[in-house]
Amino acid sequence: MAAILWCVLVSKEQFFLHKVEDLSVFLFDRMFLAERLTIPGGFLGLAGSFLTQFLYLPWLGALLWVVLLLAAYQASIRVFSIPESYRALALIPVALLIIGNMSLGYGVFIMRTQDHFFVPVLGYLVSFIPLSATKRLKTLWSKLVFLVLWNVTGFPLFGAFALIGTIVSACYISVQSDLPSKERLALSVTALLSVAVVPMALYSAYTSYRLADSWIMGLPSISEDGWTHAMRAPFQLALLSQILLASASGIMSAKPLKGLIKDFVTYTSYIASIAIICVFWYKDDNFHTELEMSYAVDQFDWNRTINIYQKAVDRHIKSDRKAYDARCRKIVQAHSTQEISDIVDRYSSRFFEPTRTMVMYRDLALLKTDRALNEAFTMKDGSRMQNSRTQIPMAWQSGKQFYLQYGLVNMCYRWCLEDVIEHNWSYSTLRYMVMHSVIMQEPELAEKYIRKLESTIFYRKWARQQRALKSDREAMAASQPYKSILPYMCFDNHMSNDMIKTEAYLINHFMDVEPESATPEYDRAALLIAMRIQDISRFWERVRYYLNSNQVQSIPRSVQEAALLYSSLTKDGRQLPYDDEVTKSYDEFNRYVQSHAICSMKESAYPYSLRFGKTFYYYYYFMRDLKTY
Amino acid sequence: MKRFLSYLTILLLTASCTGTPKGAVPGTDPVIYPDYTNITVPSNIASPNFLIEDDANGYVTLFKSGDVQVRISGQKVCIPLRKWRKLTSQGDISVTIYEKKDNGWVMMKPFDINVGKEIDAYVTYRLIPPSFQTFGRLSINQRNLTNFKERVIYANSMAAADDGEQCINCHSFRNWHADRMQFHIRQLNGGTVYYMDGKLSKLNLKTDSTISAAVYPAWHPTHDYIAYSNNMTFQNIHTNNLERMEAFDDESDLVLYDIYKNAVSVIENKRDEYECHPYWTPDGQTLFYVSAHVDDPDWFFSVGGASVHNELLKYNLYCKSFNPQDKSWGETQLYYDAASVDSSITWPRISPDGTKLLACLSSHGIFPPYQSEADLVMFDLGNGSFRYVDEINSNRAESYHSWSSNGRWVIFSTRREDGTYTRIYLSYLKDDGYFTKPFPVPQKDPEFSRKFLYSFNVPEFSIDPIKVSARVISSFVNSTDPGSVSYEQKEGK
Repeated sequence: MAAILWCVLVSKEQFFLHKVEDLSVFLFDRMFLAERLTIPGGFLGLAGSFLTQFLYLPWLGALLWVVLLLAAYQASIRVFSIPESYRALALIPVALLIIGNMSLGYGVFIMRTQDHFFVPVLGYLVSFIPLSATKRLKTLWSKLVFLVLWNVTGFPLFGAFALIGTIVSACYISVQSDLPSKERLALSVTALLSVAVVPMALYSAYTSYRLADSWIMGLPSISEDGWTHAMRAPFQLALLSQILLASASGIMSAKPLKGLIKDFVTYTSYIASIAIICVFWYKDDNFHTELEMSYAVDQFDWNRTINIYQKAVDRHIKSDRKAYDARCRKIVQAHSTQEISDIVDRYSSRFFEPTRTMVMYRDLALLKTDRALNEAFTMKDGSRMQNSRTQIPMAWQSGKQFYLQYGLVNMCYRWCLEDVIEHNWSYSTLRYMVMHSVIMQEPELAEKYIRKLESTIFYRKWARQQRALKSDREAMAASQPYKSILPYMCFDNHMSNDMIKTEAYLINHFMDVEPESATPEYDRAALLIAMRIQDISRFWERVRYYLNSNQVQSIPRSVQEAALLYSSLTKDGRQLPYDDEVTKSYDEFNRYVQSHAICSMKESAYPYSLRFGKTFYYYYYFMRDLKTY
Repeated sequence: MKRFLSYLTILLLTASCTGTPKGAVPGTDPVIYPDYTNITVPSNIASPNFLIEDDANGYVTLFKSGDVQVRISGQKVCIPLRKWRKLTSQGDISVTIYEKKDNGWVMMKPFDINVGKEIDAYVTYRLIPPSFQTFGRLSINQRNLTNFKERVIYANSMAAADDGEQCINCHSFRNWHADRMQFHIRQLNGGTVYYMDGKLSKLNLKTDSTISAAVYPAWHPTHDYIAYSNNMTFQNIHTNNLERMEAFDDESDLVLYDIYKNAVSVIENKRDEYECHPYWTPDGQTLFYVSAHVDDPDWFFSVGGASVHNELLKYNLYCKSFNPQDKSWGETQLYYDAASVDSSITWPRISPDGTKLLACLSSHGIFPPYQSEADLVMFDLGNGSFRYVDEINSNRAESYHSWSSNGRWVIFSTRREDGTYTRIYLSYLKDDGYFTKPFPVPQKDPEFSRKFLYSFNVPEFSIDPIKVSARVISSFVNSTDPGSVSYEQKEGK
């Protein structure tokens, strides 16, 4: 099972693992280490962050995690002395630990704790320490002293996990019939009392949390308040299972199972564990595509970014067809337009639709490769909401990437800092802050972040490369990614604020800001956005700028299609030269519209997309009211 | 025998640590970080530890003062506090660095560390990432300048709860004594927190007749009053500029809080004036403040106000007489017309002897830390003369500043190191009215400033430490609703 888990992680979740790593940080830096130790559980957090960095190589990070999960399973069996007939029960908490990480989905972008991937399993292991130590001690007094000392020393290092370990010990001891009842009572009461008292007694040594939060220090934390309980639930259930196993250890030792009951318990435990993993594992395809595209964007691998998007679209061709056929069958049986409308609504979620983040990554990549005006409208569009408990604003998820790449570098820096404050430092924010400082030629500031990244294992080399660019404008301008960002920085400075709406802000920026000497790249982006927002007057304005700044051999097909459509809609006489193929396709579109009445845009979108999905006409009529987040 | 040999080795090594490298040839000026060369330090300050930045194979640093000599080996020069005390007790210190190059030892040009008068032992500041709009990690800390001890006075993480976060700001003491302190908490469990005579209290200083809760404070030096500004503050971001953001007021007024009566009265609240940054003269009979004039407030607001036209706001320096007995105000007088030289003046701070006023001058607006051209300027209140404090200023922003209680030291915020992270520097006021070369507040780790990813805001001296713990403050703040204040009609002219 461990091998299967590792294979699934490496093959299906490598970009999730990358993202977990990218949003964490471990620095070999005394100040970093000291700061992390200022909260209870800081040591465990450091250990978690240390291990998280190895997710940079997903196979290695996944291997470490799987080994720790195996260790957690083995530790349950050994420490609780679980007889063979009950051993499958120990799989359940491990399944919960797995799902705690793998059900996170978009929550990964708003985790406050950088160590959340490894800490639960490490904490689970730590919580066995007091029990295994107590079992080795002979006298009552030594056990009592140890339990109190464990809390006093363990709480600062391991936080709540140290306390859970004490509770586990208390539960285990209380059911050991070979101990005198007075001893059991003394140990259990002492353990529970110290769990209650020690965090309060140590609180005055800290200034980093509320007293009321003392008993949850060290547990993973998320910045979206409504998500906290759901995010922690699997971990808390895993710890509760551990406590239950400890409490039931007496019965299990006394009455080992046999025969059918043994098989029943074993198979039920296996099935329950697998079911937990399969049901709660976050499998959303758009999320995984976003992660893969995000990785490619971070590598400035634009062709790969486009290919990932196209593959995602292609993956759904068959399922879209199936959904359409099923919908048709239902519509045939419908008796009223309202019923048809309901069916269309019901089936809409079965059709593939990209998120805005996917579309924006794709458009960015198309712009960077100068393919946007030919290809952007030939690809499927949409604005599917995140399949998520709460919608994570694009600003948190990918804001800094878009802002940097579109030359709004101060806005990129802003979101790096907001991210630091709301969530924490990460390799990602440090890298983007370096890039910001390098492009703005602020050598001292760049050096600050470069030094931090220099004290990492996997980003040291990259950081040193940036040092050479931080005060050499020519070298910077000639190297990637700066070479492809600088053309977008041709506008004059002005004051603005994105109000956490990244796409809307970018639209406003490109539509409202008119640089005195815009670069061809800037005008291409502005024209693409004018076409995206379907604003006819802005389109013609931006076409004019585009044709002025770009040495165009032939006008891109989508631009021709938009021009032809708009001139026929407004009949204002504004025209562009059109290729024969464009006029033919427009005529064909018109003929098709006349012969195939559109009942509702939603219903007709799919069949029209099969014929005209690669045209601007389709985008204009069927891609309306796209939402942004 | 083995043990004897190891003892002998240690003895020889120790013996060799007392002298200076033999045969050293003279070299150039040493490069050290932070730059503590030829500075004047307070006699009671912690040791100015530094890093030698020159490349060499070995380093020896020799400190000499009177008959005291301290030798430190290594590139990081961290002087033990006890030895540093012995050095400063003897007066000015001469520092010589020896660097071992490939062809032998080089004696770098010696530099001096002069020892000036004592400084107030404590400085309180806010630590904050140089953030834009979020404020999830803030703390008010107090540093003991005579050693390296720092403690948290209050951190917003001690209140962060599921239902919101806190911004904390504007800590302030009365007459450099920590037994009368105040700071503000915004949003969650918000209010102005006072620590007076051993008791904590929390107030909401917003009334129906004032535009906001209290913001920038100025304790009256002799009576139980605090002058405050009321501000409606916003932020915006520069899209393509080294200066990344602006903070600005879209409205601001001045009020006086009478602690005894628990009442607020208006000092200034003209619609076409943005009054801010009050500060009392030491006798408590004059209030200095800054104010920006808007010719046509209706037009200004219609075009987006300060959010769009912050560069139009030029703050001038004003003063206004005050009678503390009956709280009556005299006429307002323009003290410095910064707008006429296309500038904006902020943060007036008067020396304890009342002879000098230190302020910040920048191109526009009320928030100079974001403007790299922001500099400190000083007025002689005796003859009204004015000068840029060039001996302190850098080519990056200098902003918030405070005088020590003896008037010989100033501590000021500056972004000179990297343009983003605000650091606090000290400078000594000589008898001739000029300051000595500024230097950063010493840290245990010389590289602290390069590594530390927080800014230091609002450095304020105090003679004594704050006597209430963070735990007590947080417990009080999170369990107490703010009291209200009454509104008093303005008296005087």
